[in-house]
Amino acid sequence: MKMTVDRDITLKMAKAAQLRVEPEQVEKMMNSINDILDFCALVGDLDCSGVPDFMWRMRKLPSRRPDVPKDWPDREIFESKAPTFEGEFFKTPRIMAEG
Amino acid sequence: MARQIVIGLEVHLQLLTKTKLFCSCSAEYIGHTPNSNVCPICLAVPGTLPLLNDGAVALASRLGLGLHCTIQNYSTFGRKNYFYADLAKAYQITQYELPVATKGYLDIELGGASKRVRIHHLHLEEDAGKLVHPTADGRLTGAAYSLVDYNRGGVPLSEVVSEPDMSSPAEAKEYVMRLRQLARYLDVSDGEMESGSLRVDANISLTNADGTLGTRVEIKNMNSLKALERALEYEISRQNKVLDSGGRIVQETRLWDDAEGVTRSMRNKETASDYRYYPEMDLAPIVISDSEIEGYRQSMPELPQEKRLRFAQSFGLSGEEIAILTEQKALADYYEATVSAGAPTARAANWIRMEVLRVLNELGQDISEFRVKPDALAGLVKKIEQGDISSTIGKDLLDLMAREDLTLDEAVKRLGAPQGRLSGDALRELASRIVSSQPDVAETIKNGLDKKGGKIKFLQGLVMKEARGQADPNEVAGCLSELLGS
Repeated sequence: MKMTVDRDITLKMAKAAQLRVEPEQVEKMMNSINDILDFCALVGDLDCSGVPDFMWRMRKLPSRRPDVPKDWPDREIFESKAPTFEGEFFKTPRIMAEG
Repeated sequence: MARQIVIGLEVHLQLLTKTKLFCSCSAEYIGHTPNSNVCPICLAVPGTLPLLNDGAVALASRLGLGLHCTIQNYSTFGRKNYFYADLAKAYQITQYELPVATKGYLDIELGGASKRVRIHHLHLEEDAGKLVHPTADGRLTGAAYSLVDYNRGGVPLSEVVSEPDMSSPAEAKEYVMRLRQLARYLDVSDGEMESGSLRVDANISLTNADGTLGTRVEIKNMNSLKALERALEYEISRQNKVLDSGGRIVQETRLWDDAEGVTRSMRNKETASDYRYYPEMDLAPIVISDSEIEGYRQSMPELPQEKRLRFAQSFGLSGEEIAILTEQKALADYYEATVSAGAPTARAANWIRMEVLRVLNELGQDISEFRVKPDALAGLVKKIEQGDISSTIGKDLLDLMAREDLTLDEAVKRLGAPQGRLSGDALRELASRIVSSQPDVAETIKNGLDKKGGKIKFLQGLVMKEARGQADPNEVAGCLSELLGS
């Protein structure tokens, strides 16, 4: 069944995703989401009967590993690649107040 | 109709695995240099894939079996999205729709009555890293930026979700104590609330006037059992006041402020849709075969409740003695080993409960560190039982053995304690010596002036002190009467 979102649902989705959307951007975002939903509906028309929702075992990979510690030798690379680092810590923008 | 209290708890237990849930980094983080136990997987570097820790599955299954849950042959992981930076992926891998264990129970006892708290489910999930806010008080408010240590990020947690079956703060506290005890018996988690390896979130509501469930409030940030009890008591009072004044309870998350003794609104309660749960397609489902579950079942030790029953039947101890001795598995094992080494059951229980725990408390040790091994304690208790040494001397000997790592014989020599009771000629000789050392007192008694018997009791005390308690008080009294003609 084809789904669509309206302006209110679009704003709710933006809030859940922690996105700031200016009033003039809402319609564009709503149309984009509806385009995605149209595509989903198109894919949904495919006959997938008998096909599992997810195909985890495409390759024969182990699904668990033994509980044995291993050190990662190149720790310095994280520091060099991190956007910002202070002392031993990763530095991040301050957390926005909740509400 | 009085409002009923309805409490359900979500308890997070850090599992005692060596590595994190989805990578091979060490799961140890306390006291480690920040960001020293990290790798591309737990830092969510693009292109990496998580791989499930078999040890975490085993521990969660054991805990599930201990809670009488059904271990699921097939369970899955999902992604729980949120916006803190303490998980590098910006989502937490957790179990949502199909958890690893479902529908169990935990029996608690309060005031002599037993109550069954149903377990809704138990699931596996990863812990978050630690955020540090560079402000004077370490709080978020006023912080210009945040610092993150990902050592804890990815450490395995087992979340045990109860049904809302508890109806008082005391029951909630008892439930957490019993769950912690179970986790420790099973070596699943050390369950230390202070260090954060056991965390409790409480959902609490009061019933409406018609008996239907009221709006529930979630409380977080309770770092001790006492804090849990206080926070719930505060919240019951707060909700009653709101309802009494005609207000309504808002569904929200509140934080317990231990210093101020209040809960404060943190945020409006999220619903599942706020977390945008999504199937975790990077991880295969957990498939646990029946034979694997049977293997876990076979490896289960005796559970606390089973041990309590056996102690009552085998050793004839009181409920209070059993509760203390079985609180920790290691202490129960110590008691059983002491009895196996020949100590009488009742006296061994009494000595461990009163004296061993006293010395451990004074030394700040736990039973695994105690230098007096069960056979040594059995030797001491047997000598007391046989009357070879008094209880008073026994306490001094236990102290010496524990503090200075001495054998019983070495402690006896060090203390200069007489072996065996003083009686007959030896006791008469000692009594005579004491009488000679107190001529004025002896004269008073001989002249019949000790009307109230205080002087003779004084001499008896001196003899017992000199004999280090190793004499029969009646025989001492007889000796002194003979010597003084009283």
